[in-house]
Amino acid sequence: MPRLPRSEWYDLTRDMNWDLTYVTEDEAFPPQLSNSFGVPAESWWTWDEPYKITYSEYVHNQAGKDAGLFSVNNVVSRSKIFDNLDPGWKAAIIAHYGAIAVAEYQAGIGEARMARFGRAAAWRNMAMFGTLDETRHGQLQTYFPYQALNKEPRLDWAHKAYHTNEWGIIAARHLFDDMFTANDAVSMAIQLTYTFETGFTNLQFLGMAADAMKVGDIDFGALISSIQTDEARHAQQGEPTIKVLMKEGKVDIAQNLLDRMFWRAWKLFSLLTGLSMDYYTPLEHRTHSFKEFMTEFITKQFIDQFRDFGLEKPWYWDQLLNEMEWLHHAYHLGVYYWRPTAWWSPVAGAGPAEREWLEEKYPGWNASFGKYWDVMGENIRAGHPELTLPETFPMVCNACQIPVCTPAGYAAGYLDSPLPRILDFEGRRYTFCSEPCQWVFEQSPDQFKGHLSIIDRFLGGVIQPPTIEGALAYMGLSPEEMGQDGTNYAWAFEGHPAPAAERKVG
Amino acid sequence: MTVTDPTTGGRAERPARAARAARPKPKTWSLLGEVTRRPSVYEATAAKFLYHYRREPAPFEMSPNAPINEWYLTNREGSPFTVADWEGFRDPAKLTYSDYVMVQHDRETYLDGLIDHHEATGSVQTLDPQWVEALTRVLVPWRFPLHVLQMTSLYVAQMAPSAFIVNCANFQAGDEMRRIQRLAYVTRLLANAHGEQIAATATARDPWQNEAAWQPLREACERMLGVYDWGEAFTALNLAVKPAVDAVVNDQLTALAIAHDDEFLALLLAEFDRDAARSRAWTAALVQYAIGQDPAMADVLRSWLAVHALRADAAVAGLAELFAGAPQPMAAAQVIEAAGQARARLLAACDL
Ligand SMILES: [Fe+2]
Ligand SMILES: [Fe+2]
Repeated sequence: MPRLPRSEWYDLTRDMNWDLTYVTEDEAFPPQLSNSFGVPAESWWTWDEPYKITYSEYVHNQAGKDAGLFSVNNVVSRSKIFDNLDPGWKAAIIAHYGAIAVAEYQAGIGEARMARFGRAAAWRNMAMFGTLDETRHGQLQTYFPYQALNKEPRLDWAHKAYHTNEWGIIAARHLFDDMFTANDAVSMAIQLTYTFETGFTNLQFLGMAADAMKVGDIDFGALISSIQTDEARHAQQGEPTIKVLMKEGKVDIAQNLLDRMFWRAWKLFSLLTGLSMDYYTPLEHRTHSFKEFMTEFITKQFIDQFRDFGLEKPWYWDQLLNEMEWLHHAYHLGVYYWRPTAWWSPVAGAGPAEREWLEEKYPGWNASFGKYWDVMGENIRAGHPELTLPETFPMVCNACQIPVCTPAGYAAGYLDSPLPRILDFEGRRYTFCSEPCQWVFEQSPDQFKGHLSIIDRFLGGVIQPPTIEGALAYMGLSPEEMGQDGTNYAWAFEGHPAPAAERKVG
Repeated sequence: MTVTDPTTGGRAERPARAARAARPKPKTWSLLGEVTRRPSVYEATAAKFLYHYRREPAPFEMSPNAPINEWYLTNREGSPFTVADWEGFRDPAKLTYSDYVMVQHDRETYLDGLIDHHEATGSVQTLDPQWVEALTRVLVPWRFPLHVLQMTSLYVAQMAPSAFIVNCANFQAGDEMRRIQRLAYVTRLLANAHGEQIAATATARDPWQNEAAWQPLREACERMLGVYDWGEAFTALNLAVKPAVDAVVNDQLTALAIAHDDEFLALLLAEFDRDAARSRAWTAALVQYAIGQDPAMADVLRSWLAVHALRADAAVAGLAELFAGAPQPMAAAQVIEAAGQARARLLAACDL
């Protein structure tokens, strides 16, 4: 190998900053794509990445990682491992692929924005690796399901999801477009790489990789942990960006960017990861509850990092802790109940043993959320599973785009009112699930105000015919794709003396 | 239909169970339609990845008038460089990410070996001091313009209308970084053997910022940074500025190194033309594809090229003076002629 250590020559790959004279700074770095927040060009040049890597090291490492991963996939796809996965775990990974695979590819567009419009050469270089990384993640997370399409047709959603108007995908697109594809480079460094990747995907990916190994899905486990090694590197673009802003006295700007995206990320995270951890992952393989994970990794470790940078907990901290007790239980109930609107088949995760675990992890769960499952279980055992299905739609939040669950939070004793929040703004009425969601909207109304939620479209005549069937078609769900009970209602009969042959359902 | 909470809502009878009917096993993604041949991994991991291109009412799931929606509507959907369907374009090299890093892992292993060999023989230490002096002027500043090529490639990547194009532009940006970093390594070797000053930022930045020979190139580069129509950015980069830069760096500097018995530098620079050839191949394929879809695209590209080719020509003419001042001089006209021929070959390959 070449003799000079990286440290001897690396600075010569990152000092390409100069004074533009043929075009103005705004012409080369338009504020829409690169908000300097008033920090002068030369101050940005001090941007210093904590993680150094060369192109050569990058391709050597990545080629090795990919070779290992493809050989795992090659072996696994010729085995029966996928067929034997637990239905709950299948729900978790099918949901994951739909919500994440193509989104990661778009994160490459975000990284490319930082690689072009980041305000220091060193930063642009790090973001270039990020661009390549996210290309990798988009391609791997479509390649793996592509190889398993013949075993599970729902994996089509790994590719198709972002072309649809399925409600969860609208929510995911709204979040991710705000976070990267439709964000400027400087805000993105704090909102994508710091808030989301350092704070949340770290948890999501490490947690899911560990769970995958426990349930025996070595394919998914290897994939996710390999991806996480890239994320851990390129997520480090946030820290130096925050440091530049802090040095220039822009602490309020960094805090505001963080607070906005932290709340948004929490919402989608509780929908995706909350359900996976507390309901979909088979009970015997759970190590932590979602709340325990959130508490340990997000509210303790990540907060310590904020503080190291001179940032504080977001102002809505008490509301976050409150929602951590109940929000994902309400989401799970909603997703199960509206399962025809999901591209995966949710499992109830509400058999006697699971309920015991839920009661232990969330004292009071039986009395608050368990009662809905009691009713659904009775209907199923009475031969009326159709009574566990919807004929109406909920209100949807104009910020997070997820159904408003305040009635469930109120009924469970966590909120003072079952009503959503209402904002009249420039002649239009907006609905929000929570005070921070309304606040997020009010921080950048130009980004959000003309957007129609799926319910706005439904009530406004965009969705035709305005029926459940019309809405399901609008969401891109064919009858065979609509989610069904992942265990064929087996959960409702656990602990009840009804032999399988007498079940009236199915 | 009403809108209610799940816990109080009404109930529907829906034949959920009817859905369990057997389905034929899918050959590929449903969005790729009925196919007779299963698409390759290259195709399955890029086709229709850009959900936001020509999406209604706006590319991104934001207010239709949100600033970046308008940016894309203007500079991507609104570009004069547009055809009915971009999804049919294919990279002639058909590279996935994985292919790209595997290929470059091999090529970097080759360069590691080349450097090992020359570090063992000490060839940099024995270079003629006059040649070293020339290198500080004609080689060392390149990392600045090459970085602009990296930046612009990533602008094209974030704006391109299909992932097949995005990937080509992403990998091209990686190739620029590759070239910059190997030149940085050589710069450090030169500094260790011939004087620390060679590795100072100022030794590269001052000529880039002030020396007459570099100013036309800096102008071409900075003005290219101000181009935001995605088609024009592609034209400025891949049809004008980059071909000129590649001709000067990969070909003419190689020739100059050979003239000064600098085998190490000659082999190193020649290696980069493998990457440049890949860029030319996808560039020609994209232009041919666009013209095949709509012959009017030829004139769209030509009108942009008229502007950016002039700037690229001026850049080459400026740099050619440095070649004429080397210890074993190359005539400026020869450098200019070679760059002109390189562009002519590329445009011919593009059917332009
Ligand atoms: Fe990623
Ligand atoms: Fe990432």
